[in-house]
Order: sequence, then C-alpha cells, then structure tokens
Amino acid sequence: MSYSTFNQEQNNPLTEPMFLGNSVNVARYDQQKHSIFEKLIEKQISFFWRPEEIDVSRDRIDFNKLTASEKHVFISNLKYQTLLDSIQGRSPNIALLPIVSLPELETWIETWSFFETIHSRSYTHILRNLFSDPSEVFEDIVINEQIKIRANDISKYYDDLIFYTQLLQTHGEGDIVVDGKTYTVTQREIKKKLFLCINSVNALEAIRFYVSFACTFAFAERELMEGNAKIIKLIARDENVHLTSTQHILNLWQYGEDDPEMKEIAEELRGDAYEIFMTAVKQEKQWAHYLFKDGSMIGLNESMLCQYVEYIANLRMQAIGFDAPFENQRSNPLPWMNKYLVSDNVQVAPQESEITSYLVGQIDSEVNASDLGDFDL
Amino acid sequence: MANTFKVKVNGGPELAVDATEGTLLEALEKHQLEMHYHCRSGFCGACRSTLKSGTVRYTTEPLAYVRKGDILPCCCVPESDLDIEH
Ligand SMILES: [Fe+2]
Ligand SMILES: [Fe+2]
Repeated sequence: MSYSTFNQEQNNPLTEPMFLGNSVNVARYDQQKHSIFEKLIEKQISFFWRPEEIDVSRDRIDFNKLTASEKHVFISNLKYQTLLDSIQGRSPNIALLPIVSLPELETWIETWSFFETIHSRSYTHILRNLFSDPSEVFEDIVINEQIKIRANDISKYYDDLIFYTQLLQTHGEGDIVVDGKTYTVTQREIKKKLFLCINSVNALEAIRFYVSFACTFAFAERELMEGNAKIIKLIARDENVHLTSTQHILNLWQYGEDDPEMKEIAEELRGDAYEIFMTAVKQEKQWAHYLFKDGSMIGLNESMLCQYVEYIANLRMQAIGFDAPFENQRSNPLPWMNKYLVSDNVQVAPQESEITSYLVGQIDSEVNASDLGDFDL
Repeated sequence: MANTFKVKVNGGPELAVDATEGTLLEALEKHQLEMHYHCRSGFCGACRSTLKSGTVRYTTEPLAYVRKGDILPCCCVPESDLDIEH
C-alpha cells in the first residue's frame, strides 16, 4: 500500500491503467501503453527556452508610460499568472506522481511540471526588470482577495487528491480518523477525486490563462511591453501542449481506452466536470471585471474579454466531449490573438523572423563609439 | 484535377480545395472562411472540426486528441470530397 520508489513487483506496464495501478518501476519507453505521452515529451522538450534569453529591458520604458489603470491590468495579470504557475510547477508532481502507473506518463508529468518552473522564473525575470524591488508584487499574491478566490478553487482539487492518496498509502482502504475526523478511503473514491482534479487542471490550462494572455497581446498590438509578450507567447505555446495532455487523459478515460472504472466515473461525474469548467468561465469573467475596474485599455474592454472567454470555452469543452455552451459566441471576438498563439516553427531562419528565442540582448548590443570614449586598452 | 476536391463547410457552398497546396486549414482560409486555430501544427486541437462525410490524410501526425468523427484541418489534406462542420 505504501509508495515504493522502486516497486519490485514484476508487472506489465502495458496492462496497467494510467493511474492507481502498480507504481512504476523501470523507466522504460521501448514499449508503451499510451505512446502519445512520449510524443508530448518530445514536443515539449523541443520548445525548450530560457527566460534570460529574452530581452525585456525596453518594457521598463513602456511600463512607465502606461496609465494607472493599464498598470493595474498588467501587474494584476502577472500576479495571477505567477499564482497559476506556482501551483502548476509543483502540483502535477506531488498529486500525480505517487499514483501514476505508466513510465511514459510519469515522465510526461515530470517534464510538464519542469516547464511550469521555467514559467515561474520568467515572471521574476519580467518583474526584476520593472521594479528594483519586486517583492511587493509577489507578497500581494497571498493577500489579494481576487487572486485568493481563484487560488482556492484551483488548489482544492489537488489538495483533496493529495490528502486522500496520503491516507491510502499510509493506512490502506477503510475509515481513517485524523484529528477526530473520519475519512472514508477507497480506491474508487480516490479515482473520483483524480477525475475532478484532472478536469480542474484541464480548465485551468484551457481558459484561465487566456484573459491575461489577451491583455498581454493587446499591449503588444500597440507595440508596448513586447519583451513580456515574447515570453508570454512561449508560455502560451507550452500551455497548449499541457492542455493537450489533460485532454488526452480525459478522452482516454471517457472512451474506455484505459481504466474501465474511470469510464464509469467519467459518466457518473460528467455533470461535476461540466460545473468545474463553467465555474472557471464565471471566475475568469469576474477577473476581467476586476482588471478593468478603473478603466479599459485601447483595443480591449471587459465585454470583449468575456466574449473571448466564452469563445475559447466552446472550443475547449468540445475537445472533451461537451456541447459548446455558448452558442452565440462561435466566432472569435479577438482575431489578432491567433497570431500570438501560432507555434513558431522551425521553418523560417531565426534571424529573419520573430522567433523569440533568437532575440537576445537586443538593447545591450546597441552601443555607439562615443559610449566607449574613455575606454583604453 | 485529380487532387482537387469539393469541400462543404457548415452547409455552405462547395469550395474547391487542391490537396497538393497546403493544409485544409490554409485552403479554407484562402476561401475567406473564418477558421479557428492556434498552433497550426497539430498539437493544440483548436481547429478541431466534425467530418460528416469524406476522408482526409494527415500530413503531420496530430498530437491533439482526435475524437471519433473529428479532424484537425491544420495538419491534414482532403482525400475525397468533404462535408465538415467547423
Ligand atoms: Fe505554465
Ligand atoms: Fe501548464
């Protein structure tokens, strides 16, 4: 019952379910039950990038020109994204690794979480450039009521799964009393918590990020905060890969291509999964309201953002087998978003294109001879 | 003209699509249709459409989950006349 870092039981990973079968022993990829996860690992690694490679120094000048309400939009979004990636940089590892049963999926989870840590480090890179002391921004993340509401809704499904897994792995199934409270732990109950958790993560990566992405790219459309936009473009590309992975997990369960019990649970909890998504939609609209409480920005206002949330929710929910809930929002209210969401592929020579990773130290390299006036060898 | 097929989108008129000239997504954009897309390379699934009739061939292996009856126009070309919902 307790977790072993090297399960000595001889098992066949080709017949294991994705989660809650035997724990993985040999990290082998010569045979795979769901080879898609190794393909996602390869895709994700091919997108490797480092925040330090992106020059954000010009953003400081732009930032000082923003109006107070635009500064609120920009900083609030960075705080929210910092929260989301703080959660995502650890939670798939802590919640899912103890219960994963396929080597290719285990390695995907580790790869996924690692990229979230790149995202987290990139926010510090952006903020360090804007403020000599960014600590006030970071400190507000655990105080700000608007962010706390969202943090709670995102982390509660992870936390619940983690706690019940800990009970299962220390006590086994049964009624377990902790601090005077009785918890009924069964494998099926944990599978239900896992199902809800994956739906919540799916909704997070499917739509929660997109209100702030839209604001970032709206600034970039005005040629403002472009260093930041380059970073967010890379983050958005990674997020699309993550999203695909949870869509795969949900669809594999739903179609009965993995654990038959998870197929039953997917049917049983279909309404809850729908609600998780719709709650995320509602919260993101409230976030749009909070962002624009002091005024809109050129090219973007609260109602356009809310329409975009509905538009994107339609696409994302259809991907996991729901009907589009927002029938009158079938066309894209922010068509310029797409050009930032296209994956920069390797087809163009980097120096000729906008490939972000190539644009290193642009400002620093603009040095005049006069700058070196007093310089002697 | 063996590579040109008739493609019907959302019950609209039949559009001529040459399977040797780019993806189905690109072809439909050339016909001025508003297409949904993000990555344009098969991993995000934003271009997901329902295939009501016909067959397509993938030029890049899709990494997004393709549900039964769906196609990803950003990484496929028609192999026959098509009727799709997008
Ligand atoms: Fe992230
Ligand atoms: Fe992510």
